[in-house]
Amino acid sequence: MTKLEAARRELSAALGAEAVLVDPLALRLYARDASIVEGTAGLVAFPRSVDDMVACVRIAATHDLDVVPRGSGTGLTGASTPLGDALVVVTSKMDRIIEIRPEDRLAWVEPGLFNLDLGTALRGTGFTYMPDPSSQQVSSIGGNVGTNAGGPHCLAYGVTSAHVLAVDVVLSDGSVARLGAEGPEAAGYDLRGAVVGAEGTLGLVAAACVRLTPEPPSIRTMLLDFASVEDCAATVSAIIASGVVPAALEMMDRGIVRAVEAFAHAGYPTDAAAVLLVEVDGIEAAVHAEVRAVEEAARANGVGTIREAETPDERALLWKGRKSAFGAIAQIAPHYHLHDCVVPRTKLVEVLTGVYEICRRDDLTVTNVFHAGDGNLHPLLSFDRSVPGTLERVLAASDEIVRLCVDAGGSLTGEHGIGLEKRDFMPLVFTADDLAIQACVRGAFDPTGRMNPRKVLPDGARCGDFAVAAAGADDLGVVGADATIPEGTWI
Amino acid sequence: MDLIAPTSREEVRAALRDASARRAPLALVGGRIHEAKGNPSEVDRALSLTSLDRIVAFDPAEMLAVVEGGMRIGALRERLADDGQEWPVDAPDEATVGGVVATAPSSPRRLRFGPLRDSVVEVELVTGDGRRVRSGARTVKSVQGYDVHRLATGSLGTLAAIVQVAVKVRPLARSRRVVVASDGGIDAGRRLLDAVALPTAVVATPDRVEVGLEGWPEEIDEQTDEIRRVADVAVVREDGAAGGVEAIDAPVVVEAAVPPSKLDAILDGEPNYRALIGVGIAWVGLSDDGERLTTLRRRVAEAGGIAPVIRGPGGLGDAPVAALDVHRRLKAAFDPANILAPGRFWGGL
Repeated sequence: MTKLEAARRELSAALGAEAVLVDPLALRLYARDASIVEGTAGLVAFPRSVDDMVACVRIAATHDLDVVPRGSGTGLTGASTPLGDALVVVTSKMDRIIEIRPEDRLAWVEPGLFNLDLGTALRGTGFTYMPDPSSQQVSSIGGNVGTNAGGPHCLAYGVTSAHVLAVDVVLSDGSVARLGAEGPEAAGYDLRGAVVGAEGTLGLVAAACVRLTPEPPSIRTMLLDFASVEDCAATVSAIIASGVVPAALEMMDRGIVRAVEAFAHAGYPTDAAAVLLVEVDGIEAAVHAEVRAVEEAARANGVGTIREAETPDERALLWKGRKSAFGAIAQIAPHYHLHDCVVPRTKLVEVLTGVYEICRRDDLTVTNVFHAGDGNLHPLLSFDRSVPGTLERVLAASDEIVRLCVDAGGSLTGEHGIGLEKRDFMPLVFTADDLAIQACVRGAFDPTGRMNPRKVLPDGARCGDFAVAAAGADDLGVVGADATIPEGTWI
Repeated sequence: MDLIAPTSREEVRAALRDASARRAPLALVGGRIHEAKGNPSEVDRALSLTSLDRIVAFDPAEMLAVVEGGMRIGALRERLADDGQEWPVDAPDEATVGGVVATAPSSPRRLRFGPLRDSVVEVELVTGDGRRVRSGARTVKSVQGYDVHRLATGSLGTLAAIVQVAVKVRPLARSRRVVVASDGGIDAGRRLLDAVALPTAVVATPDRVEVGLEGWPEEIDEQTDEIRRVADVAVVREDGAAGGVEAIDAPVVVEAAVPPSKLDAILDGEPNYRALIGVGIAWVGLSDDGERLTTLRRRVAEAGGIAPVIRGPGGLGDAPVAALDVHRRLKAAFDPANILAPGRFWGGL
């Protein structure tokens, strides 16, 4: 009996036969996420409880299988792509809201819960869960925790980490630890903070205690259009310089506006070079003053028209345009490759110009929609993989784009994570010692090296005594399988 | 106590390498403002980082400041204010940035601006054995690699020396006001928290509640009216801020941290406290009397919280530490010779 078959039998006994999949179609389905990286799965399990999750980790340990956690599979870097004979632990059956406690401004949720479902459940409580990745309709809270997900409203409210008070984590030895606390401080090092954004490499998140934020009493949403990308970016800087920190500050270039408008019919101006979606929130009197400040900053920088959402429906429509951007680009070409680097705000125009130049030179279609207030760029390359040589050109251009961002003082990723796609770029931003201490952090949580291995750290990153096993890159990489873009694929 | 005072990062590295080689323990110190936080550690040498006091980079347009760990909070405050910004941690002027990051004190304004840890985006550290390591990024958001900076934040100098930090800063408020309601207690504080839209702080004492307001003058006026609708106002201080732990007059101060709904349970009968309503922090002033500390800690433990002493003797308390094995392995990786304030941290680390 192979180790996979032995593990399957034990998992079936522990979780129920229906909670374990081994058929070729399932293994193929769970061998990838929303990136262009494809791997191979050995087994797929669907735990329904913390105990089930513990059983998964223990059984995997017995049979020396890697454990790869997966939420909704909307990840964009291959972080939940299994390699080799891994056990994929899918959290989609653990999707309950455990409790909502407005008096403590917190909620406990299971990892498979969709982000937006939490928001919906909170309606009427006066509180909301702020992180709002564009994938929020289907991305899971557990996945959001794994990538430390962002979203448009993280400009004013901070990324996922600022909204996670505690996590119950199944560690590689099968023990369950509550990291963080329901209260504002916990005893010990901030292990919670290390787990958030660790892409499932430190343990499996079995439950998350998230912070609730009072709903802002008043919200205004504006759409500004510009005849040049430079004016649009200058407006972003001018708004920040005026001392206003909007709730969201999102920029879209002409290519993406046209794709979106054809798809969402939000009334975006398709002749503008760039549009800026600005949202301010707070107390009515302050919001009024901030709208004026935004308008002044925009007028000083050559804005075309300023359109303000008059009704909640109009606001929803403006946001639909932004948040469905990546569903819309399916009309441009069947495949895409998406970046997530962050640059200093003051370098936005310079980097954007560089990105356009690289793509023009290499005859690639690029569109941009991004969190301008955060400096978080999302250049999106659209292409057709069936055209010979295209994928290679895309990857070469991508390499240049990443280096351009890093040279501008930026970060490899703002909210999507490192996964498999970016791990070999890590030495661009970190020294060998930096990477070694990161390997130590990983090894401190997972001395076995079985939790989602080969993600985040490049080969060769080792922590002296812990020697995190980083296997070779032979079975890793971009696989030429067909992958048409699903409608509504997000960033 | 012997004092080592390196004047450069290389000297910090050399000092720590040397201490590790000789297995000679030491305490990392900055402004020595938050030294009381932590368990007693038997060291007879201190390594002061106060000479590393430069501002490395600050561009108001980026809303980020990169500073050396020994820079004084007061000096940083003045520099940021020149460009209309602030790092809203509210630590004393003499404290250092590195010391504040290492001890992660709470500000009354945590209600609005969140905990200090959320503002730290990049650190450069020197580990116990003298390695220089950096984590995070100098951008307002980043998820590249493991967040070593989160482990360093609040580590009480037991993992590494913090030689440089990048923090998120924000625009200074256009105007500020503190409205002091004439009824005190946790319930009165909660009524105000519910009645006021977006206060920066609601601090309850046994006989007063201070509500901190910041922002556009119009919104401050509007919220002042909201306060007057539910409470009698004793004092209005223009351009003031709600008081923090410094306003407590007692030889021993405990910083209790519990879920916000448990504040009344732990403070019942306490005569001297300042509680951050909606946050769950309570600073409790005690006489130098171990028995009352024991009683308070028992109540806090029942409420699922922790109660370290931050002024006077008493240490961190005996709250259980989750994943202690992970903690031990981290400590061994960052400080293999165990020279950085051994025993000061939770779990005997």
